[in-house]
Amino acid sequence: MHALEIVTLSKRYLGKRLKRVDALQDLSLEVRTGEVFGFLGPNGAGKSTTIKTVMGQIKPTAGHASIFGRPATESSSRLRVGYLPENPSFYEFLTGREYLHFVGKTFSLNNSMITEQSEHVLELLELTHAADRPIKGYSKGMVQRLGLAQAMLHDPDLYVLDEPMSGLDPLGRALVKEIIKNLKKQGKTIFFSTHITADIEVVCDRVGIIAKGRLMAVDTVENILQSGVEGYQIQVSRHGHVEELLVAKDRLKEFMAELVTSDAVVERIEPKRKDMEAFFLDIVSKEKHSAQ
Amino acid sequence: MGNFHCFYSLTVKALIRDRLVHIFSLVVATVFLLIPVFSMFSMRQVQELSITLCLSAISFILLIFTILSGASSVWRDVEKRYTASILGLPVSRAEFVLGKFSAIAVLIVASAIIMGFVSCLVITLITLRYPADIPVNWLNLFVAVSADALKYVMLLSIALLFSTMSTSFFLPFFASISVYFAGNASQEVFDYVAGEYGTTIPFLSRMIIKCVYYVIPNFAVFNMKVQAIYALPLTPAPIFYAILYFICYTGIMLCLSVWSFNRRELV
Ligand SMILES: Nc1ncnc2c1ncn2[C@@H]1O[C@H](COP(=O)(O)OP(=O)(O)OP(=O)(O)O)[C@@H](O)[C@H]1O
Ligand SMILES: [Mg+2]
Repeated sequence: MHALEIVTLSKRYLGKRLKRVDALQDLSLEVRTGEVFGFLGPNGAGKSTTIKTVMGQIKPTAGHASIFGRPATESSSRLRVGYLPENPSFYEFLTGREYLHFVGKTFSLNNSMITEQSEHVLELLELTHAADRPIKGYSKGMVQRLGLAQAMLHDPDLYVLDEPMSGLDPLGRALVKEIIKNLKKQGKTIFFSTHITADIEVVCDRVGIIAKGRLMAVDTVENILQSGVEGYQIQVSRHGHVEELLVAKDRLKEFMAELVTSDAVVERIEPKRKDMEAFFLDIVSKEKHSAQ
Repeated sequence: MGNFHCFYSLTVKALIRDRLVHIFSLVVATVFLLIPVFSMFSMRQVQELSITLCLSAISFILLIFTILSGASSVWRDVEKRYTASILGLPVSRAEFVLGKFSAIAVLIVASAIIMGFVSCLVITLITLRYPADIPVNWLNLFVAVSADALKYVMLLSIALLFSTMSTSFFLPFFASISVYFAGNASQEVFDYVAGEYGTTIPFLSRMIIKCVYYVIPNFAVFNMKVQAIYALPLTPAPIFYAILYFICYTGIMLCLSVWSFNRRELV
């Protein structure tokens, strides 16, 4: 049983004047327990649609999703999930602390537990100073932080986060990455969407790339980075004279053999690789060409 | 149904902290302060007039409160995207809808109780100054106000149903106002058609009018004001009928509201 399983999910929106939008087509993927899964895609790719379906907010046209083996259509499937919607918005007349109390109640936590956990998550997200102010007066980034706080309140096993870093300052981004890494250490499963490739490289175990409602690739981050190696930058010094050489991937062995016979000394070897961004752009542009 | 209570207290908090509700309460207080003044304009039947004014004021205030709070309830949470985070919690949509309904319903009943109490004070003060021949029948007054409260809770269930289907204020607001007026007139129209005049119109039209009569609410059932104003005897049968009618109609509306909100896509 996987933490999250999505099976041949399709979603067609009926827009204005009966215009149809195929937001998702035959999307299948699974998120294994204990991994950090990044869901990467350009704007309008269908990330939020997938996540809303998983959280039971919209009904798929075909296919289904399950959380720890329970169908996503049941409200009890969300008991072990911490969910952060895209650009969240919370009841403005409540204070941050009151909202957390409400959230805790829906997870059937008792009062002392809620107080303790609220304190903890507020501190973690640096919101303690604003906790007793109405949410109406929160800035965008503060609302986003509260969104993360309420997702973490009941210490869930699976996190479903729709663009967790959106609206945050660099400090906030770094903090969220740190939090995700820590959650992984505690054995939690995290499924999050983003369009920022650098974030994926830093925190994810696996990544799924979605474009125009189709899943284009799923692989471990390690594999992608490895397969992206194009060559090596090698620094050698000969008689106190340093030079930089660029060696193609398939020429490396040969080059090293040559080097051994000469009197040059290797100072440094660095793989020259395409990063996640190049990989992502490749896939998205391929999809564009195939569509034309 | 464990989360029903969460939504109940959330909605109560929302209404109690609403600036509009504060202003509205001030207006209500002013109205009740003015009732003794207006009653004294009438030289005769000051007691009857004061009861009439109190009952009308209660009715009108409850109508406004019901329509405004009912018509702006569910769709607003959807449009402001509160539901995106709320319904990502392990709660069902039925709990959300029913919690909202009960909170507003309890506030309607509470306002009716408070205004009923204030009415008693006002009427007592007036009868002390201008004693009438027939004493006030307080039980009848209580029954009239309770029946009114039931009527507005039922209207609330209708406004809530419209509100679960809507994406703006207009549909639920105007639809529930129309239903309110239709529901007040339906008994008269029905009696008219069922009487002598009915034999002159085609059978099909008569059947259609009959069907409409059973679909739209019949608010005449809850009208027990005359008995309160003139201290006339009340029989238990119409009261029981009103309660039964309230339970059935409100129950059906709530089921429809839950069903309609369950089908709604939260995009
Ligand atoms: N309510 C709706 N009605 C019609 N079409 C919709 C609706 N919601 C989304 N769509 C369409 O579905 C597609 C996927 O949208 P979605 O919000 O899932 O994208 P996304 O990957 O989350 O994008 P972003 O990175 O901008 O958040 C888009 O083409 C969008 O236009
Ligand atoms: Mg999105």
